[in-house]
Amino acid sequence: MTKRVATPKGSAQNMTNIQALNSLMNTTHVSRRALMKGALGTAAGGVVMNWGGLTASRAIAEEARKQKKHCILLWMNGGASQFETFDMKPGRPTGGPFRPIESNVPGVKVCELMPKMAKQMDKVAVIRSMRTTEVDHPGGIYLMHTGYRPSANVRFPELGAVVAKYQGTEGGDLPDFVKVSSNGDAGGGFLGPKYQPFGIGSEGTLPPFSTSNMDPAKEAKRHDLRSFVEERFATDTRSDLAKMHREAYEAARRLQKGRDAFKIDAEWAKSKELYGDSEFGKRCLLARKLVESGVAFVEVGQSSYDSHADNFQWHRGLVPPMEHAWAGLLADLKQRGLLENTLVVWTGEIGRTPSINNRAGRDHYVRCWSTALAGCGIKGGQAYGTSDENGVEVKDNPVTEGDFFATIYKALGIDPKIENYAGLRPVPLAQFGSRVVDALLG
Amino acid sequence: MFTPAKPVLRYQLTFEGSWPMAVAFVGPRRLVAANQLGHIFLWELPEKSPEFKVDPKSDQKAPNVWPTRQLVGHTNEVTRLLVTPDGKQLVSASLDHGVRVWPTDGKATGTAGVILDEDARKREARRKGKKETTTEPSATVETQTACEVLDGHKEWVYALGMSGDGKRLISGDAASQVIVWDLATRKPLTKWTGQSWNWIMAASLSPDGKKAFVSENRYKRDDFDVPTPGLKLWDVAIGKETLDIMKVQFPKYNPSDRSYGGSQMWRKFVANGLICTAYSPDGKLLAAGQGGETDTGKVHLLDSETGKLVRDVASHQYGITDLMFTADSKHVISVGRDTCVRVSQVSDGKEVAVLGSPRGGQFKDWLSAVALSPDEQWLAATDIAGIVHVWQFGG
Repeated sequence: MTKRVATPKGSAQNMTNIQALNSLMNTTHVSRRALMKGALGTAAGGVVMNWGGLTASRAIAEEARKQKKHCILLWMNGGASQFETFDMKPGRPTGGPFRPIESNVPGVKVCELMPKMAKQMDKVAVIRSMRTTEVDHPGGIYLMHTGYRPSANVRFPELGAVVAKYQGTEGGDLPDFVKVSSNGDAGGGFLGPKYQPFGIGSEGTLPPFSTSNMDPAKEAKRHDLRSFVEERFATDTRSDLAKMHREAYEAARRLQKGRDAFKIDAEWAKSKELYGDSEFGKRCLLARKLVESGVAFVEVGQSSYDSHADNFQWHRGLVPPMEHAWAGLLADLKQRGLLENTLVVWTGEIGRTPSINNRAGRDHYVRCWSTALAGCGIKGGQAYGTSDENGVEVKDNPVTEGDFFATIYKALGIDPKIENYAGLRPVPLAQFGSRVVDALLG
Repeated sequence: MFTPAKPVLRYQLTFEGSWPMAVAFVGPRRLVAANQLGHIFLWELPEKSPEFKVDPKSDQKAPNVWPTRQLVGHTNEVTRLLVTPDGKQLVSASLDHGVRVWPTDGKATGTAGVILDEDARKREARRKGKKETTTEPSATVETQTACEVLDGHKEWVYALGMSGDGKRLISGDAASQVIVWDLATRKPLTKWTGQSWNWIMAASLSPDGKKAFVSENRYKRDDFDVPTPGLKLWDVAIGKETLDIMKVQFPKYNPSDRSYGGSQMWRKFVANGLICTAYSPDGKLLAAGQGGETDTGKVHLLDSETGKLVRDVASHQYGITDLMFTADSKHVISVGRDTCVRVSQVSDGKEVAVLGSPRGGQFKDWLSAVALSPDEQWLAATDIAGIVHVWQFGG
């Protein structure tokens, strides 16, 4: 799809395009074909809506894909409290009623609500010094899914879309980016609809549209006819939309073959104890199964952390099933030899205030909060960064959203400086100025 | 006999620094209150209030007196305080997993200087542009450590109840464990567990101590994983359920259900948990209060034989926090997040007295617990603003 702009040939706009291309050539490996395609497009004075475009740099993606790395994002929707999980302040006015317990890593204590995770902390790197920039839910959800603040000009892709692009399996039976009962609507962003997430509902079952009741022979005939017509149309019109439609349709057809990966009933009976008998536990088992089946990125959500009132009761309700499932997931991945190549990210969009309000709640807070990483080369058994005595400010080693995403990409074997194009604007995977937190990597 | 006439605010006891969460009378004008840090203090209230001039600019509407004693032992929030009918033993339950029995005439083990007006000091420091608050104690109190620990819970103890004669106790924790104790021997008589995913939020014994009324609940695990609460009567002697009151209210109720759809059946009845219960002294009625932050918390009055709803009384905006029957079973007294004490007539549900006033919405503190003196002339309510309000009935 091409969007015409009113800029004449040889204008400053085109100079910018050429500069951008030069910059791209200097920073990333771009295939000749991709470069020519992009160059022709810009020389014609048009802005190429090439969904990440020039840098499609297939070679980079193909190189990354060889590593077969995966990512599971455990999304704590609403913002889990750092004080009730990983950064406790017992005895301080901000501390609340929960008490810390020892973990299997000397010196790293966790909340008493997390006894199972306490035994898995040797695999986990906690970041106690997150300092991010979006304090409310919509902005925070966008930020912690994309690594960027919402912008009117650029639709940034989610972490899942990036991982799907660089670690996904082109033409595989299963989607590369699956979301199980989770949030975030940035999707593929400027990478295009190809990298949109495949959404699974709260029960972890495939949506009804994914199941065909048609006789396979009849369906094949229909498919042939549809392909014929679409091919002609695409040839005649050179329409990206038609191409996208065909790709989506093909992906849906292929999914029929991979549907068994979404069935967990048989395994659940055996795994219930490991993951805990909860819906979140089921979702985590599904995530493991999908990763084992080759899916590059699975996001698993748990709702309701927005505890402006009765924060401690809410966390007592939410954290135990979450930590049980998370601990089970880590143990299961480890036992199956998958943890080496699977990054497990634990985060929500925000942290919660040190002060406890008059509703016994904690409000939104992003000046100092916690996230956690495990697997895929993450150096477990550590708490990175510290907060001050009341958990109000980061005391040392602040980690921004950009740093967080840069570190995630690095762990996943994806260069965070790779630039994709949003129209003509080069956009690195992690924000300019972000740094990889090397201490978190083994 | 309780008469809700002419209540007068006699004292506003300053108890700042942490939210006061429990209160009980150990004598006509002798009261104890406890906070989220686990500190328990005892006040001896003079029969005649000290001279006090109301400052229209101040929130203090009645005189303060400082406590005389601190009971030292709990290390986390005290959730409930109860006193035996003879006034000789105080029982406390706590989030530190403990239930403690304190002699109310226990010997002092020492003295300590305590600061109980921390918030006022902070305000004063801010007004003067100072970072540090003053450190001289508000009062010097006796300290008492003598107590006995009833060992049996491994989780937060939310629930504590006592039989009418004070011989039996019931306690319940966040691991769904219920224990009925013989107070004389300090030994468990019976134990049982509720639905494994639930927390025992409130428990009361019948006047003769033979039946237990238990409310269990927990906050949801996800929007689509909402464990079902329980409200049951139990036979204490054998630890067996005798009446499932939820089933009486909702014949299609399924205690194993965790679905969002299932929760819609009971959500209105339970709100965010029936967090306080009482057995009427005449044994005929049960009371359960809708708590957690909710739109409007009501007290369900239920028939103790059938479990059927007799009527709802009281109406606390944002939820109820504590309730009790008067000795004649004719009134229910409840407190809540609307910063009001409400006295409701059991016979017709009529609200016959309101003590305090709504302070202006959900961000304006709440009353956390209520107690009546043995002669039912005095009423105390703890306020998370760091106050214990004490009213006297009959002017």
